[in-house]
Amino acid sequence: MPYDPGDDVVVIHQPREGAASGTFRAFAATLKGLKMTFSRAVEGTTTIGYPEEKTPVYPRFRGRHKLHRFEDTGLEKCVGCSLCAAACPADCIRVVAAENTPENRVSAGERYAAVYEINLSRCIFCGYCEIACPFDAITLGHDYEMADYNRSDLIFTKEMLLAEPLERTPLRTPDE
Amino acid sequence: MPRPVVKEITFTLDGREITAPEGMILVDAAGKYGDTEIPVFCYEPKLGQPVGACRMCLVEIEGIPKLQTGCSTPIRDGMVVHTQTQRVHDAQRAVVEFLLINHPLDCPVCDKGGECPLQDITYGWGPGTSRFIEPKRHFKKPLELSPLIAIDRERCILCYRCVRYSQEVAEDYQLVLQQRGAASYVSTFDGHPYVAPFSGNIIELCPVGALTSRAYRFRARPWDIEGAGTVCAGCTAQCNVELTVRDERVLRVLSRDHSEVDDGWLCDKGRFSYQAVHAEERITQPLVREGAELHPASWEKAIEAAAAALKKAGDRAAALAGGTTTNEEAFLLSGLLRDKLGSSHLATGVGGEQPLDVVRALADPKLQATVPDLEFAHTVLLVDCDPIDEAPVWDLRIRKGVRRHGTKLVVASARPTALDQNAAATLRFAPGGAEGFLVALDAALSGDAGNLGGAASAAGTNATAIQEFADALRAGGEEVVIVYGDRALRGSAGRALLNIASRLNLANVANAGLLELPSTPNGRGLREVGFAAGHGPGFSTISAPGHGAEAIASGLASGDLHTVWLHHVDPLRNYPNRPAWEKALGTAQTVIAVESQLTDTVREYADVVFPAEAYPEKEGTITHPDGRVQRLRQAIGHPRAASDVPGSGVRALWQVISDVARELGHSAGTAIAGAVVSKRVFEAVPFYNGMTLDGIGGRGLRWQEHATFEVEQSDPFVLAVPASLPAKGESELRLGTFRPLWAHKDVDLSPALQFIRAKQVVELSKADADARGIGEGDRVEIGNGTRIPGTARIRAAIPAGSVFVAEGIAEHNANVLTHGIVEVHRVGPGSTDATSIPIQSTPAVEGRAEMPPSAGLPIPPREVT
Amino acid sequence: MPANIDTILFKDIDEPGLNTREVYERRGGYEMLRKALKMEPSAVLDEMLASGVRGRGGAGFAMGRKMSFIPKGTMDKYLVCNADESEPGTFKDRELMQKNPHLLIEGIIIGAYCIGASKSFIFIRGEYDYVADILDAAVAEARAAGYLGENILGSDHTIDLVVHRGAGAYICGEETALLDSLEGKRGNPRLKPPFPAVQGLYQGPTLINNVETLMNVPVILNMGGAEYAKIGTETSTGTKMISISGQIKYPGNYEIELGMKTRDILFDLGGGPLEGRTFKAWFPGGSSSPVMPLTEEVLEMPYDFDSIAKAGSMLGSGAIIVFDDSTSIVDVCYKTAHFYRHESCGKCSPCREGCNWTEKMLVRIKNGDATPMDLDIIESVCNQIMGNCLCVLGDAMAMPVSSMIKHFRPEFEAYIEAKREEAGFGVAIPQTNRGAHAGPGPLLQPAQAA
Repeated sequence: MPYDPGDDVVVIHQPREGAASGTFRAFAATLKGLKMTFSRAVEGTTTIGYPEEKTPVYPRFRGRHKLHRFEDTGLEKCVGCSLCAAACPADCIRVVAAENTPENRVSAGERYAAVYEINLSRCIFCGYCEIACPFDAITLGHDYEMADYNRSDLIFTKEMLLAEPLERTPLRTPDE
Repeated sequence: MPRPVVKEITFTLDGREITAPEGMILVDAAGKYGDTEIPVFCYEPKLGQPVGACRMCLVEIEGIPKLQTGCSTPIRDGMVVHTQTQRVHDAQRAVVEFLLINHPLDCPVCDKGGECPLQDITYGWGPGTSRFIEPKRHFKKPLELSPLIAIDRERCILCYRCVRYSQEVAEDYQLVLQQRGAASYVSTFDGHPYVAPFSGNIIELCPVGALTSRAYRFRARPWDIEGAGTVCAGCTAQCNVELTVRDERVLRVLSRDHSEVDDGWLCDKGRFSYQAVHAEERITQPLVREGAELHPASWEKAIEAAAAALKKAGDRAAALAGGTTTNEEAFLLSGLLRDKLGSSHLATGVGGEQPLDVVRALADPKLQATVPDLEFAHTVLLVDCDPIDEAPVWDLRIRKGVRRHGTKLVVASARPTALDQNAAATLRFAPGGAEGFLVALDAALSGDAGNLGGAASAAGTNATAIQEFADALRAGGEEVVIVYGDRALRGSAGRALLNIASRLNLANVANAGLLELPSTPNGRGLREVGFAAGHGPGFSTISAPGHGAEAIASGLASGDLHTVWLHHVDPLRNYPNRPAWEKALGTAQTVIAVESQLTDTVREYADVVFPAEAYPEKEGTITHPDGRVQRLRQAIGHPRAASDVPGSGVRALWQVISDVARELGHSAGTAIAGAVVSKRVFEAVPFYNGMTLDGIGGRGLRWQEHATFEVEQSDPFVLAVPASLPAKGESELRLGTFRPLWAHKDVDLSPALQFIRAKQVVELSKADADARGIGEGDRVEIGNGTRIPGTARIRAAIPAGSVFVAEGIAEHNANVLTHGIVEVHRVGPGSTDATSIPIQSTPAVEGRAEMPPSAGLPIPPREVT
Repeated sequence: MPANIDTILFKDIDEPGLNTREVYERRGGYEMLRKALKMEPSAVLDEMLASGVRGRGGAGFAMGRKMSFIPKGTMDKYLVCNADESEPGTFKDRELMQKNPHLLIEGIIIGAYCIGASKSFIFIRGEYDYVADILDAAVAEARAAGYLGENILGSDHTIDLVVHRGAGAYICGEETALLDSLEGKRGNPRLKPPFPAVQGLYQGPTLINNVETLMNVPVILNMGGAEYAKIGTETSTGTKMISISGQIKYPGNYEIELGMKTRDILFDLGGGPLEGRTFKAWFPGGSSSPVMPLTEEVLEMPYDFDSIAKAGSMLGSGAIIVFDDSTSIVDVCYKTAHFYRHESCGKCSPCREGCNWTEKMLVRIKNGDATPMDLDIIESVCNQIMGNCLCVLGDAMAMPVSSMIKHFRPEFEAYIEAKREEAGFGVAIPQTNRGAHAGPGPLLQPAQAA
């Protein structure tokens, strides 16, 4: 008795032989695909010309740290309490405090940070330092362009953290 | 005096049965045996009776309606205590809330933040928020309580610890609480700076950030630092300390409470002179003299030069050791000289050498008293030493015994001591009369009337006084501890001391005996490892004894000795008779010095200088005067040289000696590690046998408790009356010297201690001052031929005819005066600048009159804003 | 009350020259001392125990029992008379000492004989300078007559008496602070135990009693303890000096038998309220006792130790301060808190900070910068002070303040509202959310809206 698969087998019908259907089979699917390609081509570019253009970041993006000053007096907000260093899970902050004197008043409190260094090659940008800070002296900004050629250049000092972010990424000049 | 006997009792703590010694304070018992922390602020057992002021430790005790303070309640059998009820929680939360309402909460800028009991207790027991919205109490802050301590009165929670410390432990009676109620504040009575030898302890006592160290101010937070336990090698007391280290720098010294060594206190010298470790002036690389100048040299060159000099000198080499020399260094150095060069010219102390049988007898474990014995003995006798200058924490220990245990103190000295006020009997003899006194005391105790009169007059006193003193010594009880300075041991003094000990039967009485105050911090250890002219390791006999310090000086001067190795020793500053040493060092062919700074000795005379390690850099062992072998642990790395070439900076001194030995071909004296040397020391000294560095650990090991040392017992010696003191003319005075607590090279280099640097003072009696028209604070000159200037200080307790000047100080040192009989002249009125009056280490010797004058420091009046 | 004892301490108090020995002896003075010296000390003690006389200084602890706590033996023992009468409203001891100093001296000598003390002191408040002068003179007279000094009246007892003037601190009326002050230290209370009866002045056993209590000693000896116990109520025996002050017609010192009706005291002795006023409240026993509104019930209450304690206050030193409806209870509260804040010694934290805080809150209430919520905080602070302090000064502030808030809360709340209006802060809502200052749950119960 010949083998009868019964309902278990689905019979597939082969396309019919012929020139017109053969041509259709050869090009139609490709054209369908190209239709999408050409329709997107007229929409214009969607990539961004980094570094001349930059992707906007979310408001709570955690980028490079900033230290702040009081706007009215110009004194540093940081009192060198080292709580950020205590909170830091990557152990990348080093603070050495010193005492303010009437002649040399740096911060608003009794002490100030004589040395404030963040090793950005270690930092994991968790933002704990910002949470730990009792004086809102450190915040994580939106600057993320920190690549450098030298590890030691990634240790940011207090002066660098107090200053506005540097334009670090080389840009193409207009005549390039 | 019998130590308290403890009986175990059972009480109930939060429903659990706890067994603890009867009478223990509940807070301690709950913490130690019940694993329950009861929070406290004002309670500190070291300060004496509890005061129950902070009310933090309130607990509920069944049968008592009110909550009770756990800090003042001794546990009783069957007592039922609850610490976790709502009532207790409410009370504790309330107390924290109360304490915080006037606390500024400036934790981020406070040095105590992170290691603050108030923070911890607030987290553990506090309410979390405050309902206090009124303005807080305001004081001007921070203020200088003293040049060493800053006080922030806003942070103070008025727990009374510092005041009680000043009143009841240090007994300087300077700190008081002013005003009352919420306006109270801690201060000295008239606002003068709180300057005292032990003032720094209040920093550690303060449970908040009200009292902070000015030297440590804002240096580090607790999470920035590491603690490194070691032993302070600044003086003989060898207090256990914990160094606070950040970035390979010592930033602070804290006490590492050891009840058998220091009782948890430190003196200000030990607490603040760490700054010298990182001083700019430190020598950090070897120096070799080329021509007239010292030049930095490589280690190879310096070691070669030293080895060549020693080789050339052979048995004409000598060595002096002192300061922070460890047992290991002394062992290697004495081995190098004795075994390789055949020289036993090894000296440690400034005192005279005693015969070997006396040295051995004095080391008899049966005669050995310990530091706790000072507190519990019936009677403590001080013989010609002032603990506050030589082993400061012993001073506190003796005060504690007198105050709390009724210990009787008797003092026999030439110069009035800081403890005179606490003494039941005092005896003054003439400067240099210690030997005569000891012989006379022995005679008085044995009833030898013949010797008594002669010896008493040789001591510059009389037989009646000695007899009364001997009666006072005997009256207290059988447990007598005799504390003596090794400077007193001249001539027959050692034998007299042994006689006294046997007359008082000290060898057979527990908790009684002798306690030496060596003139160099590790004096006992140096002697025991064989760094001595007369004996080898473990007091073994040697074939050819060498010279003592004085003989070394004369030998060098006469050319009999060629080369001297000065190991942590500065003879021009710390040894008597500076002119003789100048001559000796000038004549010596080679002077090899191990020194940390450019002292006169180094600058003028040293040919090869090896940079010395500071004690936080050392690894090794030192021996406490009561026989406790303690470990120095390396806390920080060795400083680098200015050139910053790796390996060119300071090296471990055992390694330096070992390198010199290798250069000399003495392979037995070389070692590859410090621990190897320690092991060799433990093998070489019979009574150190079996010790290991791990066994010594952080608490030390008293060898008397583990090893035996047999001393042949002899009958009391027959003593001759010592030669009487040289005669003095009518207008002349007998010269005595003393070494102020602050006379130390590390104090000179510590910025924080500059205000208290020892300057020359001429202490004389009222009668002598009046006869010469000298007033307190006048500028005077003292001497006989050579003269030195100083500031006059009139002390009522000095007998007429004696005058005392400071030795061991940097300028106008007393050791240039070689005559025992001097004249004093007034040269001018005292300076009106209050800061020029030297502050002494003994602020309360004769009551308030001797309190340090206000140093004109800016302590503004309290301002309430 | 038996007619012959209607006044005991005040008997002939206004007789001219009673402060001299001559007049005093003429009236039978120092006879009791002679009698006592013939008795055994224990017999004197038995009389004291039988009399049941309670301390008149404030705490009301039975004097005989206190005496019996003094250990027997030959150690140095002391008797100290507490004449540091600083409690606001109390002025009975001043009059007694001023007019009849010898009775006090006789009482002290008998007391000292009874406990075996050879040295006794009168610690008198510094402001009573003229009274101290009178006492000094009386002591000199007594010493000249051989009542004081060595071998008094030919016996082999030595009893000396020193009048010591305090430096003007309320806290030195607290017995242990008094001892510290007497020793020359800062007058701070000590931790108890040990009680002064075991370890007091100069570490020796010390009996400390109030002036009035010690003055009762010769009286008791005269009458016999059992007879004395018949006066007054069962648990509050004897007569009591009361000092009536405040808004009342006839303020002054009166001697009453304990157990007298409050109404009789205030209306018969005190003469009732001033014209056109009505009584509002009173301090039954000095400014440290809880305030009670003068309701009909309270007026019917017998004036003795236990009845007042049962009613929620205390007899204290017997200083009755009355105020009428013209007085704002907030002012009374502030005055009381201010006094105790000023007098707190600062040793223990609940009293030091709690009194300070309470006063600051009351200042805010007076300035119109408070809400009824602050009343809850004041009450809670007072509760946290009570029983948690080293001595009773904290309780002395907390008890009246919290009782005033308890009894007169509507008046406080109305006052707060009015002051807020006045200060322009607007009407306070009892459940004002004070944000971070609201404190933890159980400590803060929202106020009941008035």
